[in-house]
Amino acid sequence: MATTEVASRTETSAKEEGRYLYCVAGAGEKVNLGEIGIAGNKVYTVPHEDICAIVHNCSIEPYQSHDQELAKSWVIAHHKVVDTAWKRWGTALPLSFNTIISRDSKSNAEQNIQDWLKQKYETLKRQIARVKGKAEYGVQVFWDPKVLAQTLAATSPEFRKLEEEIKTKSRGLAHMYRQKLENLIKGEMEIKAEEWFNDFYRRIRKNADEIRVDKTKLAEQGLHMLLNLSCLVSEGNYPRLVNELDAINQLEGFSVSLTGPWPPYSFVGIA
Amino acid sequence: MEPIRPCHATLVDLLDRVLDKGLVIQADLIISVAGVPLIGVNIRAVLAGIETMLEYGLMRDWDEGMRAGELGYRVSPGASRIIKNNAPVVALSKY
Repeated sequence: MATTEVASRTETSAKEEGRYLYCVAGAGEKVNLGEIGIAGNKVYTVPHEDICAIVHNCSIEPYQSHDQELAKSWVIAHHKVVDTAWKRWGTALPLSFNTIISRDSKSNAEQNIQDWLKQKYETLKRQIARVKGKAEYGVQVFWDPKVLAQTLAATSPEFRKLEEEIKTKSRGLAHMYRQKLENLIKGEMEIKAEEWFNDFYRRIRKNADEIRVDKTKLAEQGLHMLLNLSCLVSEGNYPRLVNELDAINQLEGFSVSLTGPWPPYSFVGIA
Repeated sequence: MEPIRPCHATLVDLLDRVLDKGLVIQADLIISVAGVPLIGVNIRAVLAGIETMLEYGLMRDWDEGMRAGELGYRVSPGASRIIKNNAPVVALSKY
């Protein structure tokens, strides 16, 4: 029975049943943004008062694929639509990838979107106001254990004393001493890392409107990631943030990576 | 310091935002498939396939001690573009 029902549907009507939701913007316009969506779908707005949802028509099925290039192109397309809306209207509340609104027994997908916009109007307006005129920047701070170990070894009297002692030892003993010294330095760096984290976090926090701490990741070229932050930054704060990052980047053994401006992916909540 | 524009950022920077973040919908009338975490994970698993292999190749050259210290951290090639002293910006997966 169910199979017959599915088979009898025309491709067009099945395709019309869902709405893929990219973002919500602070504009009440009804516009067609062109075929810029995932898989070249036509993207348009569903307005309610002075806000709108940016959508494309789709079937009620999540986008899934084992084709890496295809999946990658979808994620990039999702971002590009959000970015387009964000640049056009100045604000956009991005949705997670694969947010699809379905019809239900009472209404079709478009009505459901309008009902949702109406129901959550206050929440959405509040969130739009919160991110208005601000952009998200990704800030990652790395430290180089090789460089910082050398600095520590050179500046700590305790480590220097050990270093001197090693020179007087036989080859076998020197090796043991060397290992002991390396472990001590490693332990010391772990303690230091916490101090660096707190110091840099405070300095970056001061120059951002809002901040999110993300999980650190494995870094390349033997570096360690100390901080992985998303910063919501107003135009006024941006130059001050960059100055602070430049100062950290110039410290011996530290480097900073800055990406952006991103739409405020990390600064939207529940609606 | 000039930011790396999103169009030159790595795929990981993008995935972290598009898959893991964004507005979460809560409404009775609306069926949101994004509420099912599996979907995001599926896409990430597919994409992570490339990254893990890349990472594997890179990891072999790593110092054992450094690696032990990093246990518990998430594996990702996201940090492939470090700016320091105007060094060239290297991006693993540009889009």
